[in-house]
Amino acid sequence: MMTDHPLFEAQGIEKAFPGVRALKGVDITLAGGSIHALLGENGAGKSTLIKIITGVHQPTAGTLRVDGEAVRFAGTRDAIARGIGVVHQERNLFPRFSVAENIHLEQIGASYFKPIDYAELNRKARQWLEPLELDVDPAMPVSELSVAKMQLVEIAKALSLQSRVLLLDEPTASLTASETDRLFAILRRLRDAGTSLLFVSHKLEEVQEICDRVTVLRDGENACDSRAMAGVTRGDLVEMMIGRAESAASGRRRAADGAPEMLGLQKVATELGHRDIDLSVRAGEIVGLYGLVGAGRTELAKAILGKFAITGGETRVAGEAVRIGSVAEAIHRHGIGYVSEDRKSEGLILQHSVLSNAGIPVWRRLAGAMGLLGDGKVRDAVLPYLEKLEVKTPSLAQSAGNLSGGNQQKISVAKWLAAGVRILIVDEPSVGIDIKTKAYLHDLLRDLADGGTAVLIITSDMPEMIALADRIAVMDGYTITGVVGNTGSYPEMSRRIMDLIHGPDAAARTA
Amino acid sequence: MSRTRFFLSNEFGLVLLIAVFAAIFGLAATGFLSPFNLFTLGRNAAVNIMIGLSMMSVIVTGGLNLAIGAMGVSAAMFAGWLIEGVGVPWPLALAGGLACGAGLGFINGATVVRSGLHSFIITLATMSIFFGVMIFLTRAESYRDLPAVFSDFGRMKFAGYVSPLLLVTLATALVLAWLYRRTVTGREMLAAGAQPGAAELSGIRVGRMVILCHMLSGVLAAMAALMLVARNGAAIPSMAGQLGQDWLLLAFLGPVLGGTLLQGGKVSVLGTVLGAFLVTMLQSGLLMLQIGAFWVQTFLGLMLLIAVLLDKARRAYLARRNLA
Amino acid sequence: MSRISQLSRTDWFGPLLATLLAILVVRGFSETFLSPYNIQILLLAIAVNALIAFSQMVIIAIGQMNLSVGAIGGLAAITFAGAMEVWGLPAPLAVMLALGVGAACGAMNGALIRITGISAFVITLATLSIFKGINLGLTEAQPFYGIPEGVKAFGNATILGIVPLIFVPTLLVSIALWYMLRRLPVGRFILAVGSNEHAAELSGISVTATVVIVHVLSGVIAAIAGILLVARLEIGQPSIGDDWLILSFAAPVIGGAVLAGGHVSVSATLLGVVIVAVITQALVLFSIDPFLVQVVLGAMILAAVGLNRLRAHQPVSGAG
Repeated sequence: MMTDHPLFEAQGIEKAFPGVRALKGVDITLAGGSIHALLGENGAGKSTLIKIITGVHQPTAGTLRVDGEAVRFAGTRDAIARGIGVVHQERNLFPRFSVAENIHLEQIGASYFKPIDYAELNRKARQWLEPLELDVDPAMPVSELSVAKMQLVEIAKALSLQSRVLLLDEPTASLTASETDRLFAILRRLRDAGTSLLFVSHKLEEVQEICDRVTVLRDGENACDSRAMAGVTRGDLVEMMIGRAESAASGRRRAADGAPEMLGLQKVATELGHRDIDLSVRAGEIVGLYGLVGAGRTELAKAILGKFAITGGETRVAGEAVRIGSVAEAIHRHGIGYVSEDRKSEGLILQHSVLSNAGIPVWRRLAGAMGLLGDGKVRDAVLPYLEKLEVKTPSLAQSAGNLSGGNQQKISVAKWLAAGVRILIVDEPSVGIDIKTKAYLHDLLRDLADGGTAVLIITSDMPEMIALADRIAVMDGYTITGVVGNTGSYPEMSRRIMDLIHGPDAAARTA
Repeated sequence: MSRTRFFLSNEFGLVLLIAVFAAIFGLAATGFLSPFNLFTLGRNAAVNIMIGLSMMSVIVTGGLNLAIGAMGVSAAMFAGWLIEGVGVPWPLALAGGLACGAGLGFINGATVVRSGLHSFIITLATMSIFFGVMIFLTRAESYRDLPAVFSDFGRMKFAGYVSPLLLVTLATALVLAWLYRRTVTGREMLAAGAQPGAAELSGIRVGRMVILCHMLSGVLAAMAALMLVARNGAAIPSMAGQLGQDWLLLAFLGPVLGGTLLQGGKVSVLGTVLGAFLVTMLQSGLLMLQIGAFWVQTFLGLMLLIAVLLDKARRAYLARRNLA
Repeated sequence: MSRISQLSRTDWFGPLLATLLAILVVRGFSETFLSPYNIQILLLAIAVNALIAFSQMVIIAIGQMNLSVGAIGGLAAITFAGAMEVWGLPAPLAVMLALGVGAACGAMNGALIRITGISAFVITLATLSIFKGINLGLTEAQPFYGIPEGVKAFGNATILGIVPLIFVPTLLVSIALWYMLRRLPVGRFILAVGSNEHAAELSGISVTATVVIVHVLSGVIAAIAGILLVARLEIGQPSIGDDWLILSFAAPVIGGAVLAGGHVSVSATLLGVVIVAVITQALVLFSIDPFLVQVVLGAMILAAVGLNRLRAHQPVSGAG
């Protein structure tokens, strides 16, 4: 069914932002009746490319072609008019509006004052819901639908705009396994009807299951351009993504068995719904917490920190049972640090200086009588760590927001080194940073553990998990489904982890 | 580069504007530079700057405080009642007034933190409540039999034209500048205001800081109102207008002209002082030029508009040059 | 059972219960509360206050705020009165002129907010001062007394001896707003922009046009309130609008409007106005200190936002 004639082409796309070259000449060709995978690690340029295809950004150089004709998208409207639809990772629906209205809001826009005929709108909406087998009343407010159904409404919306190219950005991120299967069935049907789908995901299993073509980006360039998926192994994909064979990243297992336990959770339950959490991190050990989005990992980290209440079980820090009432207590009394995945709103204070950001946790300790504190003291305390981590900044007075993602992440880690924490929780360590910094960060975390710090890593990136963790705890549905020792073998670890998430036990649990 | 930054700074612009307008008014309006007018100007500026600092201390948290006028007047009336109704010696009554301001600020801050709602709606409601309770308790009557020390202080002149009220305000401003730059509490206030999520996860007790900022605002508002008492020689319920709303524009003009971001997390104490001073000088100068008292308000509104536009342009320029 | 739970999820059900309760309680303590005279007074207050509330409500719908509603209302009021006294314009023309002033003020607010990207709070604080200053500059704080008899008669006429005639424009505005927010694309765009500006833009809605339209609407409604007050007070007071700020926020908030935008209800706002009017009236009937009205109003806002928040925290059944 796949047509040879490409519906959409991008050639030699370059995109420069102040200080960063996000894309350095990328090609991609999308054919009708095909599901095309777009892969790449965080920071490889995937999201920039998506934004260029959908008209959010304009390329610095290169051409876009629709049906062989060169086009320029001044904005998202232009891309939509050319039949390029997108379902974003974040939901773009109006919760209080009905399903039908959400689908057709675009068409209503023709006139500001022409009364809306809701009966007609509902009738038209059904015509887009039926092919998706979405059996909902079009008059129902979207807020009453499940996340999976909301996503289908967005697909219906994109299709109603006569989209021939449909971009799906991490569409399965918040879906259950059965919802994912249903979505895939629908995507296949759309493909067979001639639509060109661009599927962006980091779950390689899914990509191999559904996609027939693949483009991989690495470091802003093509690691491969629109090649057929047939014959490409999982290992090939990973190698293209990270630029080297996977085995090289295999972790070494530390012998931390005899070391004292620094963080211990026993039968812990939280106000957020975690239950029966057993977890232990020893001094000098890196424990990974793996799970899908929505498994409750970040939430568990915040409960350990005292941001959310722990309602049952026992929490031990360095062997002592504790009740942590606030984040300030966790940091200042118990020496627990947390590097957030959301650097912009939870990690750093972007408008404040590098010095200020790196120093926050030590302010209280450095302050003299009456809470007096000069910059000099803070500088003496944090500078060695900023230098050790090779943070590149014109000056310590520079706003953190002006630095690159990698340097920001280094500051986020440096501040906990300066604070001398005993336990460090790192949430998605490599979000938005380049591959070099990522490797550097990995080394740093290993060194940190070798120095005796207990490290808990939260990541959805399996190669990263296998590269770093000594043991991997698997989380699903706000509980820990099992802990496996890291053997360093990707296929084996991947299978064992997935078994813990999707295995027979898991099915029994969700039932 | 640092020199460019200095000339592009808000504070430098304000100093320039103050100099330009002082020259214009000095030439065009006879008596503008007379010792008496400078004395009145300084005395008015003392109150206006204090009002601006009171708003600034809440803007730090990314919030705002519509109840400044109501809080200030309530605190001043409380001090008046302590003197006339209870017979407390005046220094204690002053302390009582400041404590009342802090208490009202605590109510605001605690309500904002506990409810998780924006301070706009909370202080809109408490403005009405504080003012209503104050009017109810005082029956809208003034306290006029205050000790002479109040009006003496209000009339006192140093070196011919400097009001001690202005010195009090400047000393307060110095303390605030020191607070934000040199103390942990001040730094934590700024961090909590800039990015509450990140501040909390870095070990700052954000709720406590927000409450402290509101209390500080209450104390400063009380100081401004007590200065007005010294100037008028009486504590008058209507001295900040209906619900204390007359202070509102003034309160925002100082910090906004001075370059304090309404999103919170950054302050300029010097800018607020200069901004509020510029406003006071314009008011006084325009009145002396016989522009008509009623048009002054339009002029101040236009100025706020122009100031925020200029500030935006300046920031855009700095961002483009990568200086900020 | 399900009928009741369905009702309880509508916007107006809670405020309606509160309104009925307030009326019953006040009636229980005061025989005269529901006398024709008192009802007329109640309706008079509601007529103007509802417009003031709507003027703010439409701005809340897009997630902004308008501090200048009172200043616009005041400027429109003195335009209306001044045009008749000074220029001798016939009343209908003066009304058009005042509405035009309201629309122009609103357009200025909306355009400034969109062009500069500065928050609505700062812009409307500045324009509040500008509009009020123009008002005072033109009138020098002196009222216009030369209101034609016809206008005065309109302001004090009643239908069947109970319903004030000035209630009719308010009713028409309410119905028009309700229809707009329910059925007209422009109303849906307003709610869409308030709910998620980014998504609205992606759906091809012009955020700028929507914001300007909504501010013009707010200005026009404020102007109508100002005009009606002139007719009722029989003079063009420059101080009209000075005390609108709290009133304008109280009713929408008590009616359950979400200040973050995207969710307002005409009926609930109207009920919010009724609750405020009933309680204010009750304080008068019980000869409670009028100064305490402010306190009660403030307390009601706090209570309402507290309740709204509780309601927002309850999980929506059927989801997930």
